[in-house]
Amino acid sequence: MAGFIGELLGPFKGFATVMRQAFKPRLTRSYPHEMRVKPQRFHGRHVLNRYPDGMEKCIGCELCAGVCPASCIYVRGQDNPVDAPVSPGERFGFVYEINLLRCIFCGLCVEACPTEAITMTQLFEFSVTDRADAIYTKDELLVQADGTPNHGQPDGPLIDLAELKLADGWMRATSPAGRADFEGVPAWTPSAGVGLRPAERGQSDVTESEEEEA
Amino acid sequence: MPEQPPPEMVTISLDGQEIEVPQGEYIIKAAEDQGTYIPRFCYHSRMKPVGLCRMCLVEVETPRGRILTTACNTPVAPEMIVDTESAVVQKAQEGILEFLLINHPLDCPVCDKGGECPLQDQTVAYGPGESRFVEEKRHFEKPIPLSDIVLMDRERCILCARCTRFSEEVSGDPLIEFVGRGNQTHVITFPDEPFASYFSGNTVQICPVGALTAKPYRFKARPWDLEAIESVSMVDASGASISIETSQNEVVRINGVDNDATNHGWLSDKDRFVFQAIHSENRLATPLIRDDAGDLQPASWGDALDRVADALGSVRGDEVASIGGANNTNEEAFALGKFLRTVVVTPHIDAQVGDALNPEFLAGVTPRAEIGDLDGAATILVWAGDLKEEFPTLFLRVRHAVTQMGAKLIVVHPRRTGLDNIAAEKITYRPGEGPEVVRKLTAQGDQDYGAVRDLLTAGPVIALVGLTGRAEDPRLAEAVAAYALGLPGSKVLPLARRANVFGALDMGLAPTLLPGRVPVKSESGRAELESHWGPLPGEAGLDTAGIIAGLAAGDLKALLLVGADPVRDGRNPDAVRAALDAAEFVVSLDMFLNDSNQQASVILPVDGFAETEGTVTNIEGRVQKVNRILPGPGQSRALWSILDELSSRMGGQLGAGDGPAIAKEIALVAPAYRSMTWDRLEWGPERDGVVMPDRDGVQELRFVPDDSGLRPTAGRLALHSGRVLYDGGTRNTQSPALAGLTPDPAVYLHPRDASALALADGQEVDVAGEFGTVRLRLELDPSLAEGSAYVPANLDSTWVLGVPDVVTVEAQSSKGKKNEKKKGKKKGAGE
Repeated sequence: MAGFIGELLGPFKGFATVMRQAFKPRLTRSYPHEMRVKPQRFHGRHVLNRYPDGMEKCIGCELCAGVCPASCIYVRGQDNPVDAPVSPGERFGFVYEINLLRCIFCGLCVEACPTEAITMTQLFEFSVTDRADAIYTKDELLVQADGTPNHGQPDGPLIDLAELKLADGWMRATSPAGRADFEGVPAWTPSAGVGLRPAERGQSDVTESEEEEA
Repeated sequence: MPEQPPPEMVTISLDGQEIEVPQGEYIIKAAEDQGTYIPRFCYHSRMKPVGLCRMCLVEVETPRGRILTTACNTPVAPEMIVDTESAVVQKAQEGILEFLLINHPLDCPVCDKGGECPLQDQTVAYGPGESRFVEEKRHFEKPIPLSDIVLMDRERCILCARCTRFSEEVSGDPLIEFVGRGNQTHVITFPDEPFASYFSGNTVQICPVGALTAKPYRFKARPWDLEAIESVSMVDASGASISIETSQNEVVRINGVDNDATNHGWLSDKDRFVFQAIHSENRLATPLIRDDAGDLQPASWGDALDRVADALGSVRGDEVASIGGANNTNEEAFALGKFLRTVVVTPHIDAQVGDALNPEFLAGVTPRAEIGDLDGAATILVWAGDLKEEFPTLFLRVRHAVTQMGAKLIVVHPRRTGLDNIAAEKITYRPGEGPEVVRKLTAQGDQDYGAVRDLLTAGPVIALVGLTGRAEDPRLAEAVAAYALGLPGSKVLPLARRANVFGALDMGLAPTLLPGRVPVKSESGRAELESHWGPLPGEAGLDTAGIIAGLAAGDLKALLLVGADPVRDGRNPDAVRAALDAAEFVVSLDMFLNDSNQQASVILPVDGFAETEGTVTNIEGRVQKVNRILPGPGQSRALWSILDELSSRMGGQLGAGDGPAIAKEIALVAPAYRSMTWDRLEWGPERDGVVMPDRDGVQELRFVPDDSGLRPTAGRLALHSGRVLYDGGTRNTQSPALAGLTPDPAVYLHPRDASALALADGQEVDVAGEFGTVRLRLELDPSLAEGSAYVPANLDSTWVLGVPDVVTVEAQSSKGKKNEKKKGKKKGAGE
């Protein structure tokens, strides 16, 4: 009997749910006209960064390719031309490809990179009509001289130019060798939206946690 | 190896555990054998310890209390108490690593060694984790070239002296040394003298940091994406164990593998860098058929094989001959021999081209030495080509036996050799007068060569016997072997250069041999093979020289060239070329186009080194496994699969369906190889190779020396045509790292001969022989026997000379023009 009445009341329960939701704030946005603010550590598309002087940060060490759980990165290094070096040091990333169809956006490549050459931006719009186009080559991944990431449709309605600038493309890596020159110097220059990193400390400094223990 | 008395054992205490170790062994080795690894950088098991890096510090109890000492150069003593893990030792290890890293740059991501670096690994395992040094590191210009191949990064060097010790102790060409003091100490070559060693690549392999790098591998790959497989070097027949390392289906590096029986882990630079030829853009990748206009056109396998089958089927079996097969695996050689003997039915088979020795001598000399026997020898007699040029890894073993194990060395050669500086005695003779030297050594009461004969009374004697030069009468080697076999405790190691020539002969690729070291003339041996294969030709066939003559005369109609270039290797290049032109049909199975097969009717691309799996046999008769890690380029196929398909098109049954099937058949029909299986060679104690015949194998072949009728050489200048390591051979010229190392062609004369001919050093001269003339620069060489002229074999221009017995050398004359004309004609013919 109760079951029967319950069945009769069922549609009204449904209406109640609808009525309740109708007065709550809406989560749906009219994308692409309205863009959502993405979390600061959003794992979007990768970029290859440059130093402020325009040199590429990538040294072709293949650590990103080695750590990649999806095996989607392909890197080949080469001897740096002495007269026109591409990156500081002896070796540069000659070939750099990421297959974004395979990529799982875990960010391990970013963690593995010894020079902070590869970082992730907030870009997420890279649908393609040909599978081959999903393999991003070095030309597409490398940021422009002013640190702006390349994008296939920078003028399209989908792209927010301000968001492009949000890419954490402007970073300067310091050698982790403990060079005295870098003591007390912030490792990152203010990169749009990413903020400052604490200054490099001398290797013999006592850390806070160690102080606490003491 | 001769039985050495077992070493006296002593008991020591290692980390509280009592162990028995041989007296006099170093702590580091004794501990390693017991499973306790003591970290080290400078210690290398194949070199003398120096105690430079201090990484191997351990605590040893002494009457003065516990002291820290280096384990690498402290021999064990009875009742010694060693502690490798105490707090003091750990503190010492941390300190050493912290010190090493004061100046070692942390550019590991750029460094080629990063990922397989002993300094990285040991810093993680034993290091302090943090450095207290924040000062600027030492800086040098990086990297600087030490030679055409090796680069030096002095910032990374930790001064372990492995490279300098290798070049001084092992290879004997000390071209690099420490200079500077304290912080500025670094390794460098002498001014204006590059590190031009045949063995420089070894220093790159043993460098415990990335200080030494080799150009061919530089920045090509990272260690963690390398795929490696063990194999055997196919550069010479000494059977050096290697590991072939590939990245993205491309061989990027070859490293030596420590094989106690053969190479001790060392390789020559040719062994190490010749892999570049595999990826040469000139590799043949499709079958080629000559069309009616005479041009080679790409064709399908079906068409090409049909053409070959038709051509071979349209002539009588014994009108077909085959040259080559010495660079293939045993399985491929066996399939080729079976194809020729049972499907084509011809006895005219020879794997040796040019510098051939009697196959019965090479395959059947008894007692045959092993390379390891050198270490126990009292006297070593080397009467062969310059080992440094022809058998670089064997050269290192001979050097080791002489400099470390105390053997006395006698070298007999027409010119200086790489071994002369460690030889106790050297006999320099004019080419052609070898029989005279043998007679003087043998004759009773003769006063010549007294010191040599005294040395040879002390056994065991190991004689390395081969051709000293291509112009030498091949029977001289047999005469020398016959003489050497009469010496006390003697064994003979026959030397022939091509990679698997011994395997090819053992598989019956010789006019006088059947598979498994059975002579064709042996009725019982042939009958046994016939029970498997059906009737076989009972007569011995023609050798390469006979085949060439037969083609020219029209007795032979068709020829198979299996990885052979008889034009370059032949005695008379023009005659060989004419014979190939006269042949009705020539099919070449090769990896490259060369001077011989450019005129062939059909060219079939075959898989080569690193692309085929099988076994090879070295100079000792040691069978080792070679492995496949790559597919061949384009449509190239394994030799056995080509032959299998060819025989089914010709109505025969080869049964060479795959490598393992052929290996099983070899074990079935080849007596000396009866117990051979691939499984034995893959794992376990026999991974270093097995000397055949063993266990149930039998060797019917007995070499009977016959030195009658050795030809004397008359004429002004006898030709010495010795081989050089980096010659103009296809593999060298197709490897960019090696191509530039080929020496400039020249003719060498003794100063007295030159002054008699009124010729000066550096002058351009015409060298003329029976078969051709070549213009070369004259160099004076006092080490050369008087009355002879040395012309390195198979350099870019010298091969035109052929191999005449005698040559004339005269100042530039009208003959030079004739030569140029001739060259022009050849060029035209090649196009």
